[in-house]
Amino acid sequence: MELFIGGHAQGKLAYVMQTHKEEALDVIEGDKEDLRKGHDGKRPVLSHFHLWFRKCLEEGSDPETKIQNWIQENPDSIIISDEIGNGIVPTEQKERDYRERLGRIQIELAKRAERVERVICGIGQRLK
Amino acid sequence: MVTLVLGGSGSGKSAIAESMLEEIKDVEVKYYLATMQVYDEDAQRKVNRHRELRRGKGFRTIEQPRDILQALDQMDPSRLGESAVLLECMSNLAANEMFGKDVRPADEVVRNIVQGIRILRNRVRHLIIVSNNVFEDGVRYDPATTAYMDALGKINCVLASESDEVTEVVAGIPVILKKERGKK
Repeated sequence: MELFIGGHAQGKLAYVMQTHKEEALDVIEGDKEDLRKGHDGKRPVLSHFHLWFRKCLEEGSDPETKIQNWIQENPDSIIISDEIGNGIVPTEQKERDYRERLGRIQIELAKRAERVERVICGIGQRLK
Repeated sequence: MVTLVLGGSGSGKSAIAESMLEEIKDVEVKYYLATMQVYDEDAQRKVNRHRELRRGKGFRTIEQPRDILQALDQMDPSRLGESAVLLECMSNLAANEMFGKDVRPADEVVRNIVQGIRILRNRVRHLIIVSNNVFEDGVRYDPATTAYMDALGKINCVLASESDEVTEVVAGIPVILKKERGKK
């Protein structure tokens, strides 16, 4: 599994496409669809992981377990997530939980990933 | 030796800073300066989680939500030079200084905190300071919050320039922003 993180609109998906252009990729739009099985032999890319995660929180489902299971089934997957923790901590509890839990799962994903990059202005910075 | 550890919320900066404190070998006492004020359930959960992280590591906890130099009164004076201190964290200290009993101007808060840190770091052998990156969400805040961000940003810049090491924690991974060679 590989993890790509960075701020909003920093060209993360384009960077992933560019750096993996030799491979056939199957992009899952995390803001529009749920995790799915079967990728026709292509490498699954979960884009907008943070929005998928937020939607799960709003629905009251358990995104941490879901994503860990999904990675288990798709060990070659690529996960792309916005960094959302670098701001003033909001007063609303729901927003606090979102930042805290997304931060924690990103740490777990980073531990599990064989490659972690942060993308800034379309430029990748290899962290692991 | 002064180390600044930066990170966003949930970045894992505390765990990294605490393991830095754990790895320090050349001191007799290790202090944990906790600056968070417990005002709600969420803060209490955070404090509990951090206490759990520190359990069994032999750190002496000093609760000091403001006036950081007063923490010196609670340290063993004969072994100050043999002490390592972890201050967690600057964002709470700055907020408490700024929005305490009365609202204080940003430049006064910056001046007091920087002065306090300079005195503290000269008295102890190692100082590790955790601070927060609250500057990258693109939101325009009200004047009070903006003044707070200005103060914390200024404090971070001054501390970074006067630190031997600056590390940013991203998704639990320490990224070294500054490291001066040859410092103990």
